[in-house]
Amino acid sequence: MQLKIKIKSGWNNTSLFGIVLIAPLLLWIVVMIVYPLISSIWMSLTDVDFLGINSNFVGISNYIELITDVEFWTAMGKSMIWTIGNALLQLILGFTTALIINQQFKGKSFVRIWIILSWIIPTIVLAIIWRWILNSSFGILNYILQLFNFVEQPIDFLGSFQLAMPTVIFINTWRWFPFLAIIILAALQTIPVEQYNAASIDGANSFQKFIYITFPMMRPTLSVLGLIGTLWSINIFDVIYMLTRGGPAGATETIPVFVYQKAFQEYAMNKASAAAVILFLFLSVFVVFYFKIEPTFREDNFLN
Amino acid sequence: MKKVGSILLVMGFLVGVVSFAVFGQQVEIKIWHMEQPPHRVKVFQEVIDQFNQNNPDIFVKQQVLDWMNAYQKTIAAIQARQAPEILFTLPDFTTVIKQTGAVQPVDELFMELDQKYDFIEAAVKPYAYDGHIWAIPTYGMIHMMWYRKDLFAQAGLDPDNPPRTWEQLLTTIEQLEENGITGIGVPASYHMYTDQAIYSFMIAGGSHQIFNENGEIVFDNPKTVRTFEFYQQLVDHSPQGITGWSWAEPQLAFNNGTIAIAIEKGQFLSPFEEESGVDGSNLGVAPVPYPADGQRGSIYYPNGMMILTTDQAKLAAVKKFLNYLYEPEVNGKWFSMEPGLFLPVTNATLNSESFWSNPIVAQYQDLVKLMIEQSEYGRLFGFNHQSVNQNIGKIAGQYILAQTVQEMVVKGLSPEEAIKWGEEKMKEAIK
Amino acid sequence: MSFIKRKSKSKKRAVLKYVLILLLLGVIILPFYWIFISSVKPTDELIRAIPTFVPEKWTVNHYSNLFAASDYGQYLWNSFYVAFWTMLITVILASLGGYSIYRCSYPGKNLISKLILVAYIFPQVLILIPLYKVMSSFSLINNLWSLIIINVTICAPFGVWLLKTFFGTIPMAIEEAAAIDGASQFKTLYKIFIPLAAPGMATVAIYAFLTSWTEFLFANTFILDEELKTLPVGLARFITQYNVDWGLLTAGAMVTAIPPLVFFAFVGKNFVKGLTTGAIK
Repeated sequence: MQLKIKIKSGWNNTSLFGIVLIAPLLLWIVVMIVYPLISSIWMSLTDVDFLGINSNFVGISNYIELITDVEFWTAMGKSMIWTIGNALLQLILGFTTALIINQQFKGKSFVRIWIILSWIIPTIVLAIIWRWILNSSFGILNYILQLFNFVEQPIDFLGSFQLAMPTVIFINTWRWFPFLAIIILAALQTIPVEQYNAASIDGANSFQKFIYITFPMMRPTLSVLGLIGTLWSINIFDVIYMLTRGGPAGATETIPVFVYQKAFQEYAMNKASAAAVILFLFLSVFVVFYFKIEPTFREDNFLN
Repeated sequence: MKKVGSILLVMGFLVGVVSFAVFGQQVEIKIWHMEQPPHRVKVFQEVIDQFNQNNPDIFVKQQVLDWMNAYQKTIAAIQARQAPEILFTLPDFTTVIKQTGAVQPVDELFMELDQKYDFIEAAVKPYAYDGHIWAIPTYGMIHMMWYRKDLFAQAGLDPDNPPRTWEQLLTTIEQLEENGITGIGVPASYHMYTDQAIYSFMIAGGSHQIFNENGEIVFDNPKTVRTFEFYQQLVDHSPQGITGWSWAEPQLAFNNGTIAIAIEKGQFLSPFEEESGVDGSNLGVAPVPYPADGQRGSIYYPNGMMILTTDQAKLAAVKKFLNYLYEPEVNGKWFSMEPGLFLPVTNATLNSESFWSNPIVAQYQDLVKLMIEQSEYGRLFGFNHQSVNQNIGKIAGQYILAQTVQEMVVKGLSPEEAIKWGEEKMKEAIK
Repeated sequence: MSFIKRKSKSKKRAVLKYVLILLLLGVIILPFYWIFISSVKPTDELIRAIPTFVPEKWTVNHYSNLFAASDYGQYLWNSFYVAFWTMLITVILASLGGYSIYRCSYPGKNLISKLILVAYIFPQVLILIPLYKVMSSFSLINNLWSLIIINVTICAPFGVWLLKTFFGTIPMAIEEAAAIDGASQFKTLYKIFIPLAAPGMATVAIYAFLTSWTEFLFANTFILDEELKTLPVGLARFITQYNVDWGLLTAGAMVTAIPPLVFFAFVGKNFVKGLTTGAIK
């Protein structure tokens, strides 16, 4: 299974065919991503507003305004908390879940498929489900908390400045951890049983087996998940927007929400673009850095 | 039998072809409005259907827009040349959309309708600037203080003597609470409702001027601070969840008896009996309370219609439709979308049988009359000087007042700090 | 003695195992259960201070209100239309692209690979604004094809990556053998690789379908007409400002979630299998 295809990039008899095949995808991506990227960079250097009436070149003044804007850095901080919070929580829950469903039990094939139920449903349904469960007047969660005397007053989870962020992180994690668990499970199953048996004979306990066998064997999978997961989650917009619209008072305003608000609520297309470009640069640096520090993970591992 | 069937089929086909030929000439008029609740859409559709039936050469079609993305969608549609012919609006919304150049002056049509139906001046004033009229007023909405007479009686308060001043309001709330009733619910959400509620109190507190006469922001002043201090007190008495309130929550809380007082517009009338389970005589309304040195008043919104087409055939169709819509008969029926919420902006409708004969309006006649009376004290941010400050759209579109309330309530800033923050935000917005 | 002890210990473990599995299932399924029973309770029962865990009275009123107030059939069709074409185009583009990247050799391939990676890094909100202009200039605003084009852009890069294992693990010898037999490259792709990669392509298809079904940001911005709205956007109308009718909302959530669930019931097994083969090497 570990067959490795060597990457070749010189001319040979497959070249023409390869170029023909990649052309549609390439064209698609250039039109839909490269052009908008260039266009965004251009907009971030002008004074264009939402109405598109004015458009004069203003150099980097939008960037200067942004990096001196407290709200921008607050949003950056929120994005950090959001991304790290999601990564940790999802990894822990995903790993635990994978270990649980890796056992032999009745109905395992059913569980191993339907566990990703929370990932299949549209975001809007996710938002309705949790807004209803967490509702401060009629929500079932508050009822249960009060029933068991955990709290005296109902808690307004999505309306509290302190709780809103942890709550949206929890909801997003609920959506994604089963998806992660499935992938981790698949990786777990590729670890040869003999290794565990040998370790048992040497007297290793479960924890040692996990540290010395499971974890190292899982590392390639985890590092791919780490990268894609981070990129995906930092760019998430819809979940946050549908649950809190970045509020209350900016408590959940991550960079994507900030960009959206700047563009569509404050009509500052130029500043929205500048913020998005900064995020883009930041992520690019992150990717390069990730390739550098993660030894089991090379760029060619990812795409080639 | 078979023969009959095929003849019918051919006939059907012919009818289809002929009607296509006839209706192919139809002028289509698209209307975008923001009256989302299904029952409002339904009544509007009935009004439209009647028009379409009598005017086979015109086809009017309504589409619903959410205020939350109205700016974005409208501007997008204009840029993509997909704008509707008629777009519903509020005065501050018009100031923004007008900058796209797509909004057409309606002076002539307004004059024509005015001759026939006699518009109330206050309703058109916020649309009249830069030498033209930019929208035809449709209906007005006014903020009132709604209260539950039954809950007042339970707490030993006089149901027919609601609080008039801020001091009285606070003592009333406290007395209600002593009797186990949550006195009031005011919103603290990032929402238009909060914008409107705080502004009603700002008017009452005498700090309705966001701009001075030179168009500079004068939001940060002692009177605004006093209003926010008072508002914070009301927030402290409000139930959980107000940081997420939109239009529906206060009404629900009011009708199920969670709160005894709410500050809202006239949509409280029609579902009251059914949802609260008590008789309609228990619904009380009064002007928004004001401090001793303040003034009577609350936020008054004249809604309107902008016209975004220059096509002659479409303009003629629009003209025909509006002439129909403002006939008192039709107008009255149209307002029954939400009886009590929509207040007439023409004297013709105001004095018409069809408006007052609506069962809900008839039942709550005195309340409706009080709302119409309060409208004369109504004000709207940005429209308080002789000239309209067109920057208001940028402030209203971002709900900066609501954001300021959130800074105070959610983040825990002091009123002074929050207002300073709001003033900066406003200055930033109009830069 | 020690034998019995061990047995009771393993029994304990078995109990613990099932407890954990039930807990897990509870965390995933109970919220759905709660939404479902909320959607079939009469309104007064729905907002009662002490909630009922099994409805005392069952009603379909919320569903009939929903269907009366919205154009559900139309939304459903639009969502399906967009998802179907997204799925088809994504599979074709990703398969061709994947084959090209993993099986062919030409200069500049590395650069192209990186470009595909960029598609992941790209914040979607960032392309929203310029894409609006692109769509506008092709007169695709207020047209379902604008959504299909965008959804393909979102799905295709992940699809290429997912197909890597499927294309990557097929021995090169196959092509060489086919070439010796005189088969054209196209024929090799068509006759040998497509069948071998079919499970992977199915996974890409399902992924594209589900992603398209949930997409909201672009659908909410690019579509203006009521009769062109997709299901999530159509439903969003009800969760906005005027509504605390939780019966209607939960019913709406149910009918929006059901189509992808039914779809998944048929293809879920293939999806999970393909996903797990694709994600690990």
